[in-house]
Amino acid sequence: MGPGTRDVQLHERLVAGDEGALAEAYNEWSSLVHTLAARITADHDAAQDVTQEVFVHLWERPQAYDPQRGALRTWLCLLARRRALDWSRRRQARARYQTTAGTAELATHRGQPAVDDALTWETEAKAVREAVRALPEAQRDVVLLAYFEGHTYRDVARELRIPEGTAKSRLRAALATVAHRLADEGILER
Amino acid sequence: MDPHDGIAGLLGAWALDGGESEDAAAVEEHLRTCAACAGEARRLRAAAGWVGVGDVLPAPPGLRERVLAEATRRRPPTLLRTLTRAYAAQVELLDEVLGSVGPDAWRLPDPRHRDVRGLVAHLTGNDAMLAADLGGEVAPAADDVRTAWRRQAELLMGRLRDDGDGSLDEPVRLAARRGTPVRPLRDALVQRTFETWTHRDDLAAVVGRAQEAPPAADVRRIVDLSVRVLPDALRAAGLVHPGGGVRLALEGPGEGEWVVPLGHPGPVARVEATVRADAVAYTRLVAGRRPVAALGAAVTGAGAVAGPFLEVASTLGCD
Repeated sequence: MGPGTRDVQLHERLVAGDEGALAEAYNEWSSLVHTLAARITADHDAAQDVTQEVFVHLWERPQAYDPQRGALRTWLCLLARRRALDWSRRRQARARYQTTAGTAELATHRGQPAVDDALTWETEAKAVREAVRALPEAQRDVVLLAYFEGHTYRDVARELRIPEGTAKSRLRAALATVAHRLADEGILER
Repeated sequence: MDPHDGIAGLLGAWALDGGESEDAAAVEEHLRTCAACAGEARRLRAAAGWVGVGDVLPAPPGLRERVLAEATRRRPPTLLRTLTRAYAAQVELLDEVLGSVGPDAWRLPDPRHRDVRGLVAHLTGNDAMLAADLGGEVAPAADDVRTAWRRQAELLMGRLRDDGDGSLDEPVRLAARRGTPVRPLRDALVQRTFETWTHRDDLAAVVGRAQEAPPAADVRRIVDLSVRVLPDALRAAGLVHPGGGVRLALEGPGEGEWVVPLGHPGPVARVEATVRADAVAYTRLVAGRRPVAALGAAVTGAGAVAGPFLEVASTLGCD
């Protein structure tokens, strides 16, 4: 029995149309999803819209997630990133046609007390920060550009003026190192 | 270059959707046949999921209600329909077995209800109790027990057809060996499926047909139900360990892990014993159709807790 049993059960309940399962998923992962969306879009409203899109998508199309292929948390985080990047690209496209581009505010809720589910991710968030910080600079640059800007390895290579093969291998090495460190912390499976 | 190396080199980019469009299909294709790359891809993707999580802050208050309302507006909840369908499927299967036995079978002895006729009448009575609690129609008694049972099942399903998921919390009586505990409709519906399946098994044993397990999702819901009612049953049996719990690690169709508070409302601070068993076998134990000794369970931790725990679980059925 794999550690994904809970994901299997939640998935089954979502497919069955049990709204309690959606509420549980939201309670557990909304702070992660919202944090990623806020960091990528740097926009308060967009972060909320992306969070909504992610959980509505999970509810409307639970079959799109396959528990055999990985954790629900990973799936939600990557979907949040994808949707947030889509929003950022749309905004860039809009900005190119508008003389007055709106000023984006960083939409992290600094004034709010960190409560509930956000606190439960403190250990993980710290481990991730440290794992990313510990990467060799060359690898870190590559992975952060790809992650936050949604660049392909070719874009990354062009931007950093490195060969495409180097961009690819740095991405692979950086993620492998992060995976290894998170496994050491018991956050990811080996 | 070995095509494997070419694909492996792309895995980091792929994990972040950072391959070129023509790469993704090639990677996915390769992952289907290369276990080593599939394992690495899974690890890298899991790491990629975490990369942006630097400083987690709570989602704004109010967003939860907005998200849940929009989700259920776009796809109304369907758990009631799912549970009713699961019950209906078991009704069809039992009806098929009943239809296949000859007129002599009705007088074949049943260990709990005298004969097959008594068994079906007992099931009909429990279906009628739920129908009555829901304000539905109770089928009149009939000489033909199969027809009476089928009619009652149809009346119950008909009663549920127009309800929404809100009614799942409605309190109704559960069938039990002693008394009639009141639980939400969601539990009673799982019990109807469970009991209908159990009696199909009984009938199969009487007429010499093979027993069949229900779908995995049904098995899991039956285990869930047992886990919800166990703390009260344990307390009634005097098995109360404040803060203590038993972990059920069930395998096979319906597999999963559950932690049951030992006679208290929870949470569980320490797991005193772990019981590993087949999930379907465990549900048969709960139905009272399999003694603890025949469960084939592997127990770790306090055997002196696990034994009595399983004895209580084996009394949850309604015969």
